Amino acid sequence: MSTAPSAREPLPGEGSNGDPSSGYARLRELLIGPEQARLEELQRRLDDPRVRTEDLSQVIAEAISLRLRRDRSLQHALNPLVEEAVRISVARDPSILANTLFPIIGAAVRKSVAHALRGLVESINQTLERSFSLESLKWRLAALRTGKSFGEIVLTHSVRYRVEEVFLIHRESGLLVGHVARAGQILRDSDQVSGMLTAIQDFVRDSFTAAGGEELQTADMGEFTLWVQHGPAAILAAAVSGAPPHELRGLLERTLEQIHRDFAAPLNAFKGDTSPFAAAQPLLQGLLLGRGEAAAKPRRRGFFLAAAAALVALIAAGLFWLIQHQSRWDKLLLRLRSEPGIVLTSAEESWGHYRLSGLRDPLSADPETLVRDSAIDPARVTAHWEPYVSLHAKFRAERRFQAEKDALEQEALRFPLNSAQLGAEQLIRLDDVEAHIVNLQQSMVGQRLVIEVRGHTDPTGKEDRNETLSQQRADAVVKALTDRGISRDAFRTVAMGSREPMRRNVPAYLSDLNRRVSFRVITEGAP
Amino acid sequence: MIQKKICMVGAFGVGKTSLVARYVHSIFSEKYQTTVGVKIDKKVVQSHGEEVMLMLWDLAGEDALTTVRPAQIRSASGYILVVDGLRRQTLETAIDLQRRVTEVLGSVPFVCVLNKADVRETWEVHPGELEALVAQCWTVIETSAKTGAGVEELFQTLADAMMQEHHAADSTTRAIAG
Repeated sequence: MSTAPSAREPLPGEGSNGDPSSGYARLRELLIGPEQARLEELQRRLDDPRVRTEDLSQVIAEAISLRLRRDRSLQHALNPLVEEAVRISVARDPSILANTLFPIIGAAVRKSVAHALRGLVESINQTLERSFSLESLKWRLAALRTGKSFGEIVLTHSVRYRVEEVFLIHRESGLLVGHVARAGQILRDSDQVSGMLTAIQDFVRDSFTAAGGEELQTADMGEFTLWVQHGPAAILAAAVSGAPPHELRGLLERTLEQIHRDFAAPLNAFKGDTSPFAAAQPLLQGLLLGRGEAAAKPRRRGFFLAAAAALVALIAAGLFWLIQHQSRWDKLLLRLRSEPGIVLTSAEESWGHYRLSGLRDPLSADPETLVRDSAIDPARVTAHWEPYVSLHAKFRAERRFQAEKDALEQEALRFPLNSAQLGAEQLIRLDDVEAHIVNLQQSMVGQRLVIEVRGHTDPTGKEDRNETLSQQRADAVVKALTDRGISRDAFRTVAMGSREPMRRNVPAYLSDLNRRVSFRVITEGAP
Repeated sequence: MIQKKICMVGAFGVGKTSLVARYVHSIFSEKYQTTVGVKIDKKVVQSHGEEVMLMLWDLAGEDALTTVRPAQIRSASGYILVVDGLRRQTLETAIDLQRRVTEVLGSVPFVCVLNKADVRETWEVHPGELEALVAQCWTVIETSAKTGAGVEELFQTLADAMMQEHHAADSTTRAIAG
C-alpha cells in the first residue's frame, strides 16, 4: 500500500515528458487500483490467523448444523475426538463425568441387576422343580438311554407348556415373513402384531436410557408368554402357553441363527416379497413344541393350588397348635412361679412331654390342680416336689392357726363324778382354752370359725343320764367362756355321752379322765 | 403376497389417524400412538391384478416434542405426508419431514395429502404453493377424512407407485444378475 501513492503521484515534469510507460502505469492504476486494494485487504485477512478465527467463529455453528442435516460424516469424523476428550476428562477429574452420569447410573445398574436376577431365579426355580420330581428322574434315565441331552428330553416331554404360534419377522420393516400356528390363534392379527412388536421394541429401547443393545425378550399375558429372540436381520417370536422351560430359549436362538445362515440374502434384500421364506416354514414348524393340553393344565394348576393350600393350612394349624401349647405351658410356669409355697427349680419340655421339679410347701396349692386348670393334660406332666417349709406370710398365719387348733383340740376340762361343775383347779386350763380360742379367732381370715364343745362322761351309769350330763358339761364350759367375753355364736355344743372315751378298757382310775369336755375346731367356708 | 410398509407422517392434528380410520378397521386403539408412538394397521389392495398387503404405520404427530424416529420409518416402501389445508404451518412441516424421511429411506414413492378438503374454501394453503410442489414431482392428492373423498385413491396411488418400484427393482436385479 505504501508504494501505491508514490506510484500514483507523478513526478513534476515527468507526465509532460510523454513517457508511454508512465502513462500505461497510470492508466492501469486508474482501472484496477481499487480492486487491487481490495485484493490486498483480502490477502491480509487470509494471512492473519486471528481474523480468520474470528470469521470462522461466526459461522461454525451454522456450518455444523447444516452439515449434520446433509449426512453423518461429521459424526464419524468427530467420534475419535469425542472419545479422546472423554478419556482426557476422566483422566483429569473423574468426578465430573461421575456426577454427570450419576442420575442415570442407578437406573442402569438396577435394570441390569434385575435382568440378571430374573434369569437366575427362573433357572433356579426350574432346577429345583425338576430335581425333586419323579418325572425328572424318568427324563434323566431317558436321556441316558437315548444319548440325547437332558435339555432335549425336557423340551419334548415337558407338559407344562405348549408353543402355540411362531413368528418370523423382518427386523427393519417389522413385516411378517413367516408364521406357523396350531389350530386357533392366540394373537389377533399376526401381521399387525408383528409390526407392533417391532414398534414396541423401538419404544422400549428409546424409553429405557440404560437399555444400550438390549432388547425386549419376554412379554407375559396371563397364561401366555411371548418369547422374543433377536437377530441382526430377523426376529423370532414364540407365543407359548404354560411355563416354557428355559431350554426353549436356546432352541429359539439356534433356529434363528440357522435362519440367518440359510436366508441371509433374502433377508438383506427383502422388499416385501415373502415367497423366498416359504422354505423356512419347516424350521418354524419344528418349534411348535410341548403338548400341554389347555384343559389339563388349569386342573393341574388347580390341584397344585389345592395341595399348596392344604399344606399351608396344615402348617398353619401345626403352628397354631404349637403356639397355643407353648402359651399354655408358659402360663402354667408363670402360675407355678408366682404361687406361694412352690419353688420351681427346673421345667423342661420335649416332644409334648413336660417335666417339672422343685420345692413345695405342703400347705401350698396343689400343683396338679394348677396343671389341670391350665388345660394341659396332666398325663403329659411329670412332677417331682421336694417338701419344704415356706416362710411366706400366708403360711405363717396358717401354721399359727394350725398350731392353735392342735393345741386347743389337745385340751380337756375335767369334771368330778356325776357333776357338771368345773372345779377350781380347772380354771387355769380354762385360761389356756380361752387364749387358744382368742388366737384362733384372730388368725381367722375369710372363714367362719366354729368351736365344737363336746361333753363326755365315763362309761359308768345309764346312757340317757350320761347324755344329759355330757350336754350339761358342755353348756357349763360354754357359759364359762362366754362369761369371759367370747361370743356365744362361736360355739356349738355336742353331747357325746360315753360314746367317745379317751381310752377303752382301762383301769377305773384312768376312766376318770373320760369325764371331760373336749374341743374341735371347725372352719366353715363362707363367713 | 407382497407386503409393503407405509408410514403416515405429518404435523400434529393434521388427520393422519382419521385417514387411516377411514380406510381400515383397526384392531388397536388409538392409545397406542400416544404411548408407543405408533399404531399399525393393515389393508390388502389390488394393484395391476396383484394383491399387496399394506402395513400402515401411523406415527405420532410431529411437533416440538416428538421427532421422527428413524427406527420407525426404516424399511418403509413408501410414505404419506399429511398436510392440514387449514394450517399453512403444517405444509412447511411436511416439506421438512419429506427431507428428513428421504435421508433415512432414500428416494421411495410418497404421496402428499392435503386433508380437510371438505372445507376447501377456508384453506390457508394456496394452490400456487401446491403447484410448486407438483413441479418438484410431488404427487399431491386432496382428501377429506370426514367425507372419505380421495382416501381410497390416495392408498391406491401409493400402492401402484410402490409396486411399480418393486418390479423395477426386480428387473434391475435380474438385469444385473443376467
